[in-house]
Amino acid sequence: MSANSWLATGNFYTTYKQEQKTFSTSLDRSFFTLFLVILFAWPLLFEMSNKNMLVIDNILIAVVAVMGLNLVTGFAGLISIGHAAFVGIGAYTVASFCRTIGDTHIIITHFWPLMIIVSGLVGAGFGAVVGLPALRLKHLYLAIATLSFQMIFQWVINFASFFNQGQTISVGRVFWVTGKVGRDDHYFFWYYIILVVVVLLGFGIRNLLKTRYGRSLIAVRDNDRAADAMGMNPGLTKVYAFALAGFFAGVAGALHAYVYRGVGFESFTLHESIGYLAMAIVGGLGTLNGSFWGPVAIKYLDLQMEHLSEAMGQYLPSGMNLTTAMKPFTFGLVIVLFLIYEPRGIANWWRIAKSYTKLWPFRY
Amino acid sequence: MKTKKSLFLNALLILVIMFAFTASANAGGKVYKLGLSLAITGPTSDAGNPYSKGVEDYFKFANETKILGEDTIDCTIRDDQYKTDITKRNFEDYMDQGIVLYLNYSTGSTLGLKKDFEEEKIAVIPASFHRGNLENSNYIFLPVASYSEQVISLGEYVANNHKGSKAKVALFLHPSAFGRGPLADTEAAVKAGLNIEIVEVVEHGKDLDNTAMLTRLMSKGVQYVISQTVQSPVATMLKDAHRLGLIASSFGEEGKITFLGAHYTGGNDLIALAAEASENYFWVCSYNLTSENNEGTKQQLALAKLYGRDEKAANSHNYANGIMVAQVSTEAIRRVKAAGLEVNKANIYKMLNGMNGANAYHPYTTVGPVTYSPTDHAGVDMLQIYAVKNGAFKKVGVPIQSEYMKKIQ
Repeated sequence: MSANSWLATGNFYTTYKQEQKTFSTSLDRSFFTLFLVILFAWPLLFEMSNKNMLVIDNILIAVVAVMGLNLVTGFAGLISIGHAAFVGIGAYTVASFCRTIGDTHIIITHFWPLMIIVSGLVGAGFGAVVGLPALRLKHLYLAIATLSFQMIFQWVINFASFFNQGQTISVGRVFWVTGKVGRDDHYFFWYYIILVVVVLLGFGIRNLLKTRYGRSLIAVRDNDRAADAMGMNPGLTKVYAFALAGFFAGVAGALHAYVYRGVGFESFTLHESIGYLAMAIVGGLGTLNGSFWGPVAIKYLDLQMEHLSEAMGQYLPSGMNLTTAMKPFTFGLVIVLFLIYEPRGIANWWRIAKSYTKLWPFRY
Repeated sequence: MKTKKSLFLNALLILVIMFAFTASANAGGKVYKLGLSLAITGPTSDAGNPYSKGVEDYFKFANETKILGEDTIDCTIRDDQYKTDITKRNFEDYMDQGIVLYLNYSTGSTLGLKKDFEEEKIAVIPASFHRGNLENSNYIFLPVASYSEQVISLGEYVANNHKGSKAKVALFLHPSAFGRGPLADTEAAVKAGLNIEIVEVVEHGKDLDNTAMLTRLMSKGVQYVISQTVQSPVATMLKDAHRLGLIASSFGEEGKITFLGAHYTGGNDLIALAAEASENYFWVCSYNLTSENNEGTKQQLALAKLYGRDEKAANSHNYANGIMVAQVSTEAIRRVKAAGLEVNKANIYKMLNGMNGANAYHPYTTVGPVTYSPTDHAGVDMLQIYAVKNGAFKKVGVPIQSEYMKKIQ
């Protein structure tokens, strides 16, 4: 590396360790730190409504879930169309505790960080089990196997009386060092918690990808026989890819349960699984930052279409059916357009923008 | 100089216009914000759609006819696609806007948001008549008798009119909280002495054919099927029963099945879907139907005409359902104003709880008065049984009230 650590231009890696640095330049690190500071500081500077904070919390939860999906589908190349069920496993882990010990029990209200981790671990366990067919199945067949898990999950939740047959199971209000987190601060509080989770898990993935375990995910995706020949264990890699995805999904599910203060069946249906897949595709499969772009883009689009429908509904009350149909139509259209014109997702635009600034002040 | 003078005059003119607008806005009375979140698309939207039109039209009518004097109601209506997550977001948005009364829709979201309603201390009128909504809840007001009461009333009607020994009944339920709601209460009513035998409980899926189920029920000697679901699965079942020649031509005909159902199973949509197979379908509902042509339904049709609604919406009992909820909301606000109180969440809640006895409210859309009290949050207690005769729902007897519901409560 050259003496100027602020610019990428003219810097060359001379060791593997240098190449594995999280931030290639000091400028990258500074920008990222500034970005994090902004993320943590802005809610303190601008007053946000409960609705908007809920929307943001919801996007961040989706980011956690899509990071997991990206690990299994993007990095390991294993198609999973039952991801919402894994998220549901996490949420229903919290709900099961609520059903068993009561939703205001100290474990639910005070030891919620533990509950979130436990939910992640339960998700990982289910992920590993569902990943077992990946040892024998590939592509479409594996997709069907994950779909069957989604169906089994839905059926069990919908019919088991322990899970209240899919009706909402309430989750109590949590406590922080300042006391009970009340209604006014609820979404604000969870914004910070989810943000911390996102940052930790994001760095987790980033670091994982630098290790042999992370590289083996990509190797197995590109050619599992070649990976096998290189001394990797494709079977184990596939199973732990599912387990990792299950962990992320489980954590997302637990966060969902706490933010919404209840767990209901309809948040974890096949439609939601397809939604997560769409977020991963639009964001960019096989990229970490794609896991951020996708949920932001899809959720924002959803919301804007709702607003547009509502605005049109003001002028065309009897045409409301037509206007509300725009939302699913746009959702489908965006996915198709991305698949055709930008299969690498928004992450590719980010890559192009970054590579342009990387060469600065030179053009090439 | 001339330009400067004309600029000054223009600015003055703008100021005068702005002042006039501000003054007229202040003179226009207060605006009370309400919010409705419901399924205009997605599952059960066939009911949600006319419901939203009923709410929209009546509030428009109330504002235009100055029921609240110069004050007006601004009710924002949003589609939640029958999803609790979206309903919660809508609710939070409405709360941010400062609503004084909230109108909800589905059973799932009403149960899911129950704790929020308690914390916000806001009165809520859902379109769901699930009795569970009222458990551990102080702020939810059902518009009419619960699904449980409807199903038990049908059970009572069967028990009272069945000839022979104990009537064998099957329950045909929607696979959700909405469908399953009345099951435990109906079983409790049977335990309490309701003279019917529940032979089988069927949770329908998305079956396109019910032949196997119907023949199984016949083999078990089932003579009555009581449905608690929406119209389309009932229509599928009726069409299959018609094809198999299983529909009783009169109530309780031996060797055949008499089909009955609660609020969301019937109405004109059912007749449209099942056509001749809907003949002799018994249905319980707390609303007046346009096929009966009374004073109430004339007003309903006039309202629909006023706002250009099509025949289908105008004649829908869910349109009446929406109107009724808007009527109750408007009346509660009117009473708060009449009492000289500030129109806010607490006073609307108080007025709703006082809507009983001499203060009971009589909307034109229902078969009985709306009676709420601190211990009774089910609005219209009266239920009317209708049956399809010559392609239209017609009254069977007078409005009834369930006896066994009182026993098990």
